[in-house]
Amino acid sequence: MPVTRVLVANRGEIAVRIIHACRGLGLQSVLAASQVDLDSLGAELADRTVCIGPSSATQSYLDARLLVQAALSTGCDALHPGYGFLAESAPLAQLCADHGLVFVGPKPHQIAQMGNKIQARLLAAELGLPTLSGSTQVETSTEALAVARRVGLPLMLKAAAGGGGRGMKIVKSEAQMANLFAAASNEARAAFGDGTLYLERYIPNARHVEVQILADQHGQVIHLGERDCSLQRRHQKLVEEAPAPHLSSTLREALCAAAVQLAVGFGYENAGTVEFIVDQDSQTFYFLEMNTRIQVEHPVTEMITGVDLVQEQLRIARGERLRLSQEQVSIRGHAIECRINAEQVRQNFHPSPGQITRWDPPGGPHIRLDSHCHEGYVVPIFYDSMVGKLIVYGFDREEARSRMSRALLQFKIEGIDTTLELQRFLIDHPRFASGDVNTVMVESVLPELLDR
Amino acid sequence: MTHNLDFLSDQDIRQIAALVDTLDRSGFDYLQLDVGTIKVTIGKGALPAQAMSTGLSTAGASVPSPTLAVPVAPTLAAAPPSSGGGAVHLTLAESVPSDWLPITATTMGRFYSRPDPNSPPYVQVGTPVGADDTVCLIEVMKLFNAITAGVAGTVMKVCIEDAAVIEFGQVLFYVKR
Repeated sequence: MPVTRVLVANRGEIAVRIIHACRGLGLQSVLAASQVDLDSLGAELADRTVCIGPSSATQSYLDARLLVQAALSTGCDALHPGYGFLAESAPLAQLCADHGLVFVGPKPHQIAQMGNKIQARLLAAELGLPTLSGSTQVETSTEALAVARRVGLPLMLKAAAGGGGRGMKIVKSEAQMANLFAAASNEARAAFGDGTLYLERYIPNARHVEVQILADQHGQVIHLGERDCSLQRRHQKLVEEAPAPHLSSTLREALCAAAVQLAVGFGYENAGTVEFIVDQDSQTFYFLEMNTRIQVEHPVTEMITGVDLVQEQLRIARGERLRLSQEQVSIRGHAIECRINAEQVRQNFHPSPGQITRWDPPGGPHIRLDSHCHEGYVVPIFYDSMVGKLIVYGFDREEARSRMSRALLQFKIEGIDTTLELQRFLIDHPRFASGDVNTVMVESVLPELLDR
Repeated sequence: MTHNLDFLSDQDIRQIAALVDTLDRSGFDYLQLDVGTIKVTIGKGALPAQAMSTGLSTAGASVPSPTLAVPVAPTLAAAPPSSGGGAVHLTLAESVPSDWLPITATTMGRFYSRPDPNSPPYVQVGTPVGADDTVCLIEVMKLFNAITAGVAGTVMKVCIEDAAVIEFGQVLFYVKR
């Protein structure tokens, strides 16, 4: 299907990123913006901007009907959902299909298959991927206790509708189960409107490693290597890098092969990410979930492969065959990304919206900043706190790491509080420098910063 | 203007400077502000006649003027976008008498002035409306939302043509109390 004009159904840095990709392919872009985003950088860069609603996301970016209406009434033939908001909404993908719009992403049923994490686990296991022992849906804490006795503790309670760490709790003793079950279920219901939970064995010394997939509509699937996203706080990623440090070539090959196997197995199309947990102690890996969208951390893969992933998404959506075979994918050097959030680290990461009075990004070779911010920009209170992603490339990990350290030092932001200092602390930390990372590292080293 | 600026405090001047900056970045041609005893009109090039007559000349008078209460109304033309790039195409809501109040779109969608093609419009110029009266429909994906006036008065102007696509916040009607 031909694509000439794309509705950008998102905001912030990813809206800007999608507009750049459209321009690169000679496509027009129409930005769907809430009222507060009408003077954003995305609005300035897009060929046209449509005000779809007030600042509240539920009345703008989270309303599929408004987005499709905006696309149709501005003559768009495609819609790019970005990440977050409705990026993994099967109903939005379906509504696009019903109105003859190309949804830049997978088919609605593929989104749905991976959207329910219990179903996704079953499907992955069916297709031969290793999954953590655990349960399907558990209705009560008594039922969850029975699973605990069968599988053993510690266990992770997770939301079936999950994402973003909400509705996730680690259960270390049987006595905790009742309370944590109620808390996780309530959190999941508040976040997703669905309190359904399941259980998975919890791996204490684990790394989060994910594989980037590209799949066209003609059955061709390739991977573009892996990313390590172990540095997280409350299940929110802070630092991502590619390739994953200290990953044996055996494990790397097995992970990438498993990701392709899954995508081929259910006929997936467009860009996707298959997430795995790597057990550091046993050197084994398990399927966690699959994200059926472009990810926040996609730039690190772009830096080490030279592939523009968002452009590839658009090419795939308009029916083109992949331009690269697996053999043509070459991985070179090392890339690191730091997410810069408007938060007060010392006030328990409380959001810090407001006007940016100084915005001096770092410069120099191999430094990339994906952001929608500038001096004078007001970080609104309505959305997430990310103000930019700083990405660096280096010949090897150490070169990338020291370049990131210098870039963070050079980056001056005033008017709002940011996580720049925290990022510099993490990047400079001996544990990160040595590549000795796991999913609890941030939690364990954070007091060193806060006690300074 | 023969006034000197002695009557303005540093604070006033800073605020005016901030206004100039805001206007500069907004895409509006001029801005007219009426706060207490001070009236300020800032703009580029020749000011529209309306601003000239109601703005500067009456400095000191206490005419309450809701000029700035007119919401920002991005225009959404039916034509496809030009590929020339550019930002939001904001236009200042047309100059209307100060006692006209706008009814704005509470959602984006397609504007319908009547319940069905064979019925008369909900309101026309001269129709008296109550705050809870339906003044039009806005269709979003086959779902018709009834828009209520929000204010009581008489319809003075219908700003949108039937079946036009409108954006959130766009002025649909003006009503005089």
